[in-house]
Amino acid sequence: MVRITLNQISTSREYWSISASGTFTKGLHLVSGDVGSGKSTLALMMCGLLPLSAGNIEREEIKTSTISLQFPELHITGLTLAEECASWGCDPYVLLDSIKLTGKKEMSPLTLSRGELKRFHLACVLAKDYDLLLLDEPFSSLDCEEKVKLCARLEQKSQGICIIFTHEQNILPGVNRVWEIENGTLVDCGTPPDAFRNWHHIPPVIKKLMVLGSIPRNISRNDLQEAVCRIQE
Amino acid sequence: MQDPRIRIASATVLSLAAFISLLGAAAVFLWWLVFIPHHLLAKKIRLVGSLILMIAFFSLVLELSGGNGLSYFVRMIVIILIGMWIFGEQKSGDFLSTGVWLFGEKTGFEIGMIAEMGMQSLVSFTDDIDRIRMAEKVKGMPWGVRSLVPAGLVLVHDALVRAEDNAELLAIRGYQKGGTLCPTFCTRRMDIVAGIAAGGVFIFSLMPVSEFFILYR
Repeated sequence: MVRITLNQISTSREYWSISASGTFTKGLHLVSGDVGSGKSTLALMMCGLLPLSAGNIEREEIKTSTISLQFPELHITGLTLAEECASWGCDPYVLLDSIKLTGKKEMSPLTLSRGELKRFHLACVLAKDYDLLLLDEPFSSLDCEEKVKLCARLEQKSQGICIIFTHEQNILPGVNRVWEIENGTLVDCGTPPDAFRNWHHIPPVIKKLMVLGSIPRNISRNDLQEAVCRIQE
Repeated sequence: MQDPRIRIASATVLSLAAFISLLGAAAVFLWWLVFIPHHLLAKKIRLVGSLILMIAFFSLVLELSGGNGLSYFVRMIVIILIGMWIFGEQKSGDFLSTGVWLFGEKTGFEIGMIAEMGMQSLVSFTDDIDRIRMAEKVKGMPWGVRSLVPAGLVLVHDALVRAEDNAELLAIRGYQKGGTLCPTFCTRRMDIVAGIAAGGVFIFSLMPVSEFFILYR
């Protein structure tokens, strides 16, 4: 079974540090935290792109892994959308069709708007299955409609470990486990809905629902709507 | 060097001295060895690695086409050393303070602010280059000559977007021209010594030393 275990890993800079321990197994994980809390750094460490100051990471049966950085333009290596698709091992015709960019394969990725580029980049990343997929702020630059579509896409993923690092509070997919970064440390909040009791960065809507006595089963939009309906009943 | 006025003036005259002649470049290199803390070099080496490769390439072309490529290479490397020193020691606000001190609160403020923004862009450049290299590693692409064009395009594109954002932000805040600033400076005795030495190096680079030796012989 795929598994990634963080054994007291840490890194620090002049006025800031982050440490993490825990095991991530197959499924969708959410790592929440404030802006600047160290989510991106943790993601890079887990992907093996940043050296650890201490601790180690054990990877079991993880043969393929990738990371989606917050700023999609930093991933660009192709001069056209077709070249960029190819660099991710995707068919440009199929991929561009799927995100309504048909006929634009000769366009430079840099001529797309930030939102379009993010949509394009996420389509490239999600086109393949990875044993470990790390998504750093995947919802940034997306409108509500695209966020909902992304959530549906992520919930459909059946293979490997997918970890979402985000401070998004409104539109999220149903997840298997919730984590958060609190005071420079990764904390395992548990599985929803039990995780809601320990989750300091809990979205305000869920908090409100809990006050009203209707605890959602998970954090997806459908779960929240269902919880709201229970109140009306 | 604590005083940004002496630092900027020294960097200017030393760059000119290095560019004027090979002997000037040698003198600047000696100055650099004597006055610059060398840990600053290690900090900024990542930033200029590609630049050194590019200069080496053009120097080789110049040498092969009959020009003095070696001299060009040595002089440019010394200028890069000076640039790395300035970049390593510069603190936020140094250019602004020096600009206002030199040219006043209108033109000086403008020049200082533009220089500050340029320095900020350089810092962003290093971060972006790191991330681009990581992204390429994820795709299994080796960092090399082939990466330079797309990476360069991304860097220029990002710099233009940031410049536009900054301009809009200044306009929204009602910025028109100039601003109020009371610059303060801390000058150490060593700053003055290094500054005078830099001036000496510049004068030395202007002297026709080679002709003197020919006459002497």
